[in-house]
Amino acid sequence: MGGLQKKKYERGSATNYITRNKARKKLQLSLADFRRLCILKGIYPHEPKHKKKVNKGSTAPRTFYLFKDIRFLLHEPIVRKFREYKVFVRKLRKAYGKAEWTGVERLRDNKPGYKLDHIIKERYPTFIDALRDIDDALSMCFLFSTFARTGKCHVQTITLCRRLTVEWMNYVVTSRSLRKVFLSIKGIYYQAEVLGQLITWLVPYQFAHDHPTDVDYRVMATFTEMYTTLFGFINFRLYQTLNLVYPPKLDSKAESELKAEHEEDYAMDSESYLEKLSALSASLARVVATAEEEENQLDLFPTEGEDQENMQAREKEQKEQEAQKRLFEGLKFFLNREVPRESLAFILRCFGAEVSWDKSLCIGGTYEVTDETITHQIVDRPDMDKQYINRYYIQPQWVFDSVNAQMRLPVEDYFLGTTLPPHLSPFVEEKDGDYVPPEKLKLMALQRGEKPVQEDEEEEDEEEEEEDDDEEEDDDVDDEELTEEKNLKKLEGTRAQGKTLAVKVTPGKVKPWETGSVGNKVRLEQEEKAEEKRLAIMMMKKKEKYLYDKIMFGKKRTTREVNKLTAKRKAHEDASKAQKKQKKAKKQ
Amino acid sequence: MAAVKRLKRVAAAQPGFISFKSSAGSDDLNSGQRKRVNKNKKKNWNKHSDIQDVEEFLDDVRLQERATGGLISEKPDDSLFFVDIGEQRKYVQPEVQEGKKGKKSKSRPLRIDLILQHDSLVPPPKDILAHQQPNAKKLRRIAENAAKLAAMGVLPRRQKRLLNRRPAITASKSKTAANNFPDRPYYDLWGGDAKETADPYYLEQTGKKRVKRPEKLNSKPSVLPAVEVIAPGGSYNPDFFSHQALLLEAHEVEVKRERAELRIERQLAVNRDDTATEETVFQELVEGLVEEEEDEDEEEEDVSIRGGLQQEKKTEKERRRERADKIKSQQKQAARVFTDKKQQLFQLRSIQATLKRGEQQTRERVAQRKANQEAEKSMPRRLGRLRFQAQDLEVQLSDEIPGSLRTLKPEGSVLKDRFKSMQKRNMIEPRERAKFKRRHKVKYVEKRAFREIT
Repeated sequence: MGGLQKKKYERGSATNYITRNKARKKLQLSLADFRRLCILKGIYPHEPKHKKKVNKGSTAPRTFYLFKDIRFLLHEPIVRKFREYKVFVRKLRKAYGKAEWTGVERLRDNKPGYKLDHIIKERYPTFIDALRDIDDALSMCFLFSTFARTGKCHVQTITLCRRLTVEWMNYVVTSRSLRKVFLSIKGIYYQAEVLGQLITWLVPYQFAHDHPTDVDYRVMATFTEMYTTLFGFINFRLYQTLNLVYPPKLDSKAESELKAEHEEDYAMDSESYLEKLSALSASLARVVATAEEEENQLDLFPTEGEDQENMQAREKEQKEQEAQKRLFEGLKFFLNREVPRESLAFILRCFGAEVSWDKSLCIGGTYEVTDETITHQIVDRPDMDKQYINRYYIQPQWVFDSVNAQMRLPVEDYFLGTTLPPHLSPFVEEKDGDYVPPEKLKLMALQRGEKPVQEDEEEEDEEEEEEDDDEEEDDDVDDEELTEEKNLKKLEGTRAQGKTLAVKVTPGKVKPWETGSVGNKVRLEQEEKAEEKRLAIMMMKKKEKYLYDKIMFGKKRTTREVNKLTAKRKAHEDASKAQKKQKKAKKQ
Repeated sequence: MAAVKRLKRVAAAQPGFISFKSSAGSDDLNSGQRKRVNKNKKKNWNKHSDIQDVEEFLDDVRLQERATGGLISEKPDDSLFFVDIGEQRKYVQPEVQEGKKGKKSKSRPLRIDLILQHDSLVPPPKDILAHQQPNAKKLRRIAENAAKLAAMGVLPRRQKRLLNRRPAITASKSKTAANNFPDRPYYDLWGGDAKETADPYYLEQTGKKRVKRPEKLNSKPSVLPAVEVIAPGGSYNPDFFSHQALLLEAHEVEVKRERAELRIERQLAVNRDDTATEETVFQELVEGLVEEEEDEDEEEEDVSIRGGLQQEKKTEKERRRERADKIKSQQKQAARVFTDKKQQLFQLRSIQATLKRGEQQTRERVAQRKANQEAEKSMPRRLGRLRFQAQDLEVQLSDEIPGSLRTLKPEGSVLKDRFKSMQKRNMIEPRERAKFKRRHKVKYVEKRAFREIT
């Protein structure tokens, strides 16, 4: 039994990890610098599986890094720059202490700096990699650009973030890639589809900051430093894909239009251009002056069978998307001063509308309130004194809801002073069988092109209205149940009933679409299908049958829950209606 | 010393000599202490004789020759003096001339040039090389050769080396702008790759080659999305039910927190039974005074029993019987096993059932473990001393919901949300702010001025 004695903690996971402090010492950096380096290089701490082994028998909670990662960090040229900077600071402090002002000046001139370009290239080898990871960068830059310039972070960083976000917004406007908007109590969520990637970002409301104390600003600033570099390169590339001039320039036509008389009063010369860009009211200059929109059509290949169907579906989808992109085209909006200008202008421009605002609100307004051709004016106050007859006065939520519904919603619900319908989240995707709020159902019906039910007579004949509502819901349910599974479930339900109850024959209801011969045919077809399904179930193996029953049980449970929720909703609505009535009675 | 004085006198007595410099040093010579020196040695003559005035004289002569081109004493008076008749006429005349003939005045050299002109009598040394070239023949031959080679397209070695040299990177030398410079330029980072021209082996050996990033680093530490969208109840104008759902969620969080608080409080509460009553106090006072004898007796008995058992010795007969018993029991055991095995044939079904059950159990456990692992991927890990603590849910109560966008009061902070999101995605470890710790005690002293008043 010869051989060397195996020592503990000299192989295995103990050697694969390194504690933060050891790593720091290995790199000869201060903790702050080490943290900065890790963030820039994208090296994150790692939780080992067996902490006690890694920690050499101790159970003290420590931060661990993978040893290979740290060895990789040793090769980073930026590490040397950090050390240089440390020395620079020391020298500067010394010069200050000795009051050697020329020395201070000389040192300042030779301040060591570093670039992050190579790190970005290394972390994101291709453009698409970078684009996939842009969510964070976007949210961070939008956040930093709203900071007050009070010294919580560098003013330069804030300006840079502002510039980058303006460039991004201009890109989204030009490429018309916005898909969803959600006004939450936290901020505004946007979702855009850029080069096939869904990109979500969060923009805080303006002037909403109270600086939290438990956030490490240094860490955030480091992240922002990395993200601004990444974001800038992405912007450049995106502008290139659209043939736009990169530091974005306004169209020459738009530029002359936007020339205001009192520009100097609004902003300094250096800032006014950025402000004009951020107004978003004008289009951007292109490298090659081309026609406004190039229709890029899918190449047509001769296809057969399923492929053809797929192709058709895809074509249809594309057509829908094109239609969505032109949602507000031809409309002329005017924003009142109490609405959030930037987000509204951004969204409206994304869908091809023309926007303007009061001259004193912001630079870049293209027409006045008095313009007769304005179709919509967005207002967020109880009422207006002077109203033009040939335009709609609507609340801002109309814009957001229309974008999410991918259609122009009827403006009646959003008129001045009316109670708004709820603003639903477009990020929730209901699976079939889930509870769908009635507002959404209504919206889906609208999207299918059905006429909305008149709700104006709500107070007058409640019962009738309720019936209407019920019918509508029934319709919706029917529509959904056209899918096979639903149908099956229904059959199941009837069967289950048949087992428990005595057989009963109820007079059949004649539905309007079933009266004709076409309807008969449809029904026959359906019945046939149901029969087939039932037979298939009967032929199932025991194992499959078990699974099937389980699925069906789950579905039944969800429907039960949905029914409960709808009942609850109805009760709630009844209660609110009763309250309203009481109030009305009191008033009278 | 007398000799020196005499020489000086001689120099000064030169007929008609005018010194160029004002001789201020003449007085200095006489002043100062006289030194007594033996003059019987030639060495001393040289050492202590003052030849300064002679040298000065000779210097002066040379200076005069250089500066004025000859001794001043020999120059005619006209060249030295002129009659000062004022400067007015001199200034007026050129002005008139300039007005009439500009060209002529321009052609005249400037006075400053005239001053600088060389006018010494000593001629400058002749430059022979101005007229002839050393190695002219050889150079001509080389030039001819170079021209021939250039015509053939062969570059000289020096030029070749220059061309081969890598272009000096001026950008790195020049000041690198800060990363947050607002107008910083960007370029196409992912554009055409500039191929590294140099030898890869050279780059590797000199440490100039970038180390490849480990593939593992490109995977994200968590599967959570970067931006998590708030629940539909967080809309500024929410649907009633989704809002209620969000409220319920927030309520549950709050209940959990309160329960934890209550638990701590309960643990900290004083137990009623532990409080001292009169009885217990009295017991404590009397403790040790009353003797208890019962316990001791019991202990003694125990010891005696144990000792007795060990003492006895087994007899031969007992041993034999024990052995037989043992064999018997073994046989019985073997028979039992045999019959059991036989019986198992009839238990096959139940055995199969247990096996099945066991398998089912393992399968379920595997599935559970897998699900747990999946769930763990999206969980925040323990990365340091502190655990991740989720942010408070942003919720607006039913009476806080604004009627319109204008009256909306934003809830929570996006900055904190971002920060927590990064912690949740295991990108940074949760930390707390370093506490300020005072090293030395603060000492309060009343200032004297203040003390005087009070």
